[in-house]
Amino acid sequence: MSLANLNFFMSEAATNLRRSGMMSFITISTIGIALIMMGAFLLATMNMESFLYQMQAEALVTAYLKPEVSISDAKTLSLRLTSLEEIENIMVVTPEQAAKELFSNPDDQQLMQIGITPEENPLPTTLRMKVKAGTHLPPLLEKLKSEPLIDNFSYGEELFQQFQGLSHLLWVTSLVIVIMLGLASLFIVYNTVRLTLYMRREEIIIMKLVGATNWFVRGPFIVEGFIQGMVGSFLAIIVLFATYRFALGKLSELIPFFTASIGFEQMFKLAAKLFMMGLVLGISGSLLSLRDINRFSKSTPEGV
Amino acid sequence: MIELQGVTRIFPNGVRALNNISLTINPGDFVFLVGPSGAGKSTFLRMLFREDVPTEGKILIDGKDITTMPEGRVPYLRRNLGIVLQDFQLLKRRTVAENVAFGLRVVGASASVINTRVQEALEQVGLSHKRRMFPTELSGGEQQRVCIARAIVNNPLILITDEPTGNLDPMISQEIMQLFLEINSRGTTVVMATHNHNLVNKLRKRVLALVDGQIVKDEACGTYAYE
Ligand SMILES: Nc1ncnc2c1ncn2[C@@H]1O[C@H](COP(=O)(O)OP(=O)(O)OP(=O)(O)O)[C@@H](O)[C@H]1O
Ligand SMILES: [Mg+2]
Repeated sequence: MSLANLNFFMSEAATNLRRSGMMSFITISTIGIALIMMGAFLLATMNMESFLYQMQAEALVTAYLKPEVSISDAKTLSLRLTSLEEIENIMVVTPEQAAKELFSNPDDQQLMQIGITPEENPLPTTLRMKVKAGTHLPPLLEKLKSEPLIDNFSYGEELFQQFQGLSHLLWVTSLVIVIMLGLASLFIVYNTVRLTLYMRREEIIIMKLVGATNWFVRGPFIVEGFIQGMVGSFLAIIVLFATYRFALGKLSELIPFFTASIGFEQMFKLAAKLFMMGLVLGISGSLLSLRDINRFSKSTPEGV
Repeated sequence: MIELQGVTRIFPNGVRALNNISLTINPGDFVFLVGPSGAGKSTFLRMLFREDVPTEGKILIDGKDITTMPEGRVPYLRRNLGIVLQDFQLLKRRTVAENVAFGLRVVGASASVINTRVQEALEQVGLSHKRRMFPTELSGGEQQRVCIARAIVNNPLILITDEPTGNLDPMISQEIMQLFLEINSRGTTVVMATHNHNLVNKLRKRVLALVDGQIVKDEACGTYAYE
């Protein structure tokens, strides 16, 4: 494509956007509203997920060491594990301490009757590991599994599974919603471009008559779609983030210990995603409408 | 230049608009296409710029078969053709100069080339002083001249025109006809469908008479009569 062509497309697109202001308005606001809704869902999902992460990270991982492991070996192991990035701190619990803890609970006094005494103690040495906030558990568990001294461990599997399920469900739901919103707005954009195509039929016929290729005819429409997508997503991002900040402010007033869990980087990524989606919507809406452009270009309505 | 070999066009509704037409038009020819309404003149012309394709037969332009030409090549065919139709197909929201420039824009010509060529074409049709006006500010004859300027702006080999004077009064028609003669005298082949028997009779050019989709007459210095 030559520079002259691109120039022509741009100026055509600018003129057309001005002339069919209503159509541009519809397209831009459709894209904008769809993106605001998509963004809101994604933000809510991100927030909920990070909240879940925080809750889940509170859980301790308890490793039960093999019976023959001595206290000093256990301490060496705990030192080594502390250096793992996922681990906040580790407490070594000797069988005696474990038993004491057990007996400190009056309900467990009966345990003595079934043979646990400070002298005859079947409890293993355990490591209680506090995991750093926001850690993804499975890789850590893999590492622990490969430790020969560790017999067995527990980490609140149920809670973890529930968390995984919930987070999965959240993402699937918001993905479905985002896709549906995308399709709905694509449909509207498609029809709007279709309408402008009919309005500019005469122009297309003349262009084709003097030897314009189909891509040349499509050029200005695609540039328009691009601009509309860009403007729509830009507005959507501004509205969405302003509202989000406002809502966060209100929430932290209402709930004193509430903190925003979505960082700047994540927000930036979300904005970039929304922007891309806006461009894709604008351009693909146009492209979809323009696919059978030959139908519009015959100088008689019935065509061939 | 233009060669038709057994061209037949049958529309889906069964109308046989062209029936087994074979003829040759040489470079630099000026050809009138006459015949009653519904004879198939417009259909004939539309075949020449691949707006329509024959049901049977072949059309060669400059030795190339345009009937089997892929859709993607059609724009390049049209860049060698000038097309002027009866209803002045101008864009109302563009100035005269912009309308004429359209024929060059689509080939991606540079701004300076467009400027000089548009100026030349408008001078040729005598409208360079109205280049900034809009089509609605022009008379019918002037509008048709803008269309002609657009058709000749990229020096076409062939000018195809369907009743270019159909909507114009006799005086203006004569002026328009004069323009086509000038264009022809510079070497462009002109094929014109017309009902204007005065002009056909006066100019004594080649006349092809079409009745019910068939060539009933082909005379080198012919008259309008076709019966
Ligand atoms: N798209 C079409 N579908 C069906 N029939 C058609 C179509 N186009 C033209 N016809 C028929 O083909 C015949 C020739 O039409 P055409 O327009 O070529 O005539 P014409 O000689 O140009 O007439 P006029 O002098 O009135 O312009 C007519 O009978 C017309 O009804
Ligand atoms: Mg006709």
